[in-house]
Amino acid sequence: MIILSVEVVPPKRIPILLMILVFIMLVLSVAAVYQAIEAYRNGSLDLASIILSISAIVLSSYMIIQMRSKPIKLGFEMYDVSTTIQCDRCNYETTRKFERGDYIFKEVGSCPKCKGNLFISSIYREVKEKKRKSFFASSI
Amino acid sequence: MVSEASRPIAQGLLPEDNVIGWILQLIWIAFFFIFMFYGQRIQMRIMLKEIEGSLLRLKLMRDKGREIAISTIKEIGKPKEDPAPRIDRFLEHVDIGPVSLDPVGIIRRLEHIIDVRELRFKDEVRIMAPEADETQMNNLTNVLEAALALNQIYKSIRHYYLMGKKTLSIYIIMQLQMILPLVMKECEAFANALRAFTLGQPIGDGVGALVAAKLMHGRKKRRIAKDIVMSEVPIEGRTAYVIKAEGPGGNVGKPGEAVRRILEEKNGKISLVILIDAAQKLEGERVGEVAEGIGVAIGGPGVEKYKVEEIAAKYKVPVSAILVKEDIGDVVSTMRKEIFDAAEVAVERIKGIIREKTREGDAVIIAGIGNTMGIGQ
Repeated sequence: MIILSVEVVPPKRIPILLMILVFIMLVLSVAAVYQAIEAYRNGSLDLASIILSISAIVLSSYMIIQMRSKPIKLGFEMYDVSTTIQCDRCNYETTRKFERGDYIFKEVGSCPKCKGNLFISSIYREVKEKKRKSFFASSI
Repeated sequence: MVSEASRPIAQGLLPEDNVIGWILQLIWIAFFFIFMFYGQRIQMRIMLKEIEGSLLRLKLMRDKGREIAISTIKEIGKPKEDPAPRIDRFLEHVDIGPVSLDPVGIIRRLEHIIDVRELRFKDEVRIMAPEADETQMNNLTNVLEAALALNQIYKSIRHYYLMGKKTLSIYIIMQLQMILPLVMKECEAFANALRAFTLGQPIGDGVGALVAAKLMHGRKKRRIAKDIVMSEVPIEGRTAYVIKAEGPGGNVGKPGEAVRRILEEKNGKISLVILIDAAQKLEGERVGEVAEGIGVAIGGPGVEKYKVEEIAAKYKVPVSAILVKEDIGDVVSTMRKEIFDAAEVAVERIKGIIREKTREGDAVIIAGIGNTMGIGQ
């Protein structure tokens, strides 16, 4: 059996330096929020520091989520490949999954309808394009 | 007294009248100085980490490619001994191009080197896989070539990565980081190609061969050049000499040689040469878009292209090109439906060109260029 279906996918390594930086940023932003809350308790509302520190918390949390170990994509994907068989006399046509040894214009027996020659008329894979809805999408 | 409005922003954000505020101030200042003096070094480290990640991926791809090559040869070729050491030796294969200091006769010398390479590869496969038939042998050669490409790309990227790390040259690291997305795309294409080659499925590059096969299907064929078959097909009242590489094994043949032989056989009495090939699409273009043009549409090292240009110029025969646009990933992976459908569009375009550019009774050459894996005739 050819090793096509067994995908060796070790987890992605997280850069240590980036992780330390993100954690420092998170700690600093939490400290800044604490400062702002303390200041508010003492009677002064510092809106700028609250907004800045909350944004920093959101940003660092987002980066931590992004850093979660993801499997490495290697390629070697298994596609769904279709083989179409056609009769050279009548309009009989059938589609099945690709089998090893198939090739275009290979003769594969006789037609169940008219006993004409059956041959492989096409072998292809269908790709479903992922359409992402983006706010910044352009019409170019 | 300092008014509230004139108070510095930093003081508002980090008040100076408590310990935490002071610590935060000091941290920010430390950060500022660290980034001022070590900013570039930090940036370099981040880039190196990014390259390291891609290199790890490349290594895994290379190893998997090797694994697939070994298991395919074992399954198809039924060798008596373990093919792994021989495959490992094969993956280190190096091609040395001809000297260009004196360019006279470089095409002939390049062709000789390509021929020797092909022969060597086939010999190697024959030894590794004694049970494989001709078609399987061609496919296995393609499998090994894809594994070889993955190994070579991995090794050159690793070379520049280690060199950048050793010299700490931001210019080497930056260049490597900039080209890395394109290199990864190419490697993914080779990884997918391996799967298609293993199973003998038609690939995107074979669209030219598919067009020729559609035209010559059911007609008598004869071998005209190395690994190239030809059929005489009546199209729109003209005689078309349709050529393609002999399938269904992975093969490109020598289409340039075939065109030269036909033109010489007919003493140049050919009204038009049409070449159909896959072409890399630009970003934004649709896969399977068909474009027309003039010139010799043959990729590769240029030997076959040169032969057609040379002979067409000798007999003053116009050369038309029909191109099917594809992404680099589609060229070597299993043929997409859009590309398969484009073959029918290309056939209609050929008929249109023949009607417009030639007269009834004329002779034309139609050459389907590309790897004919999974495509018979």
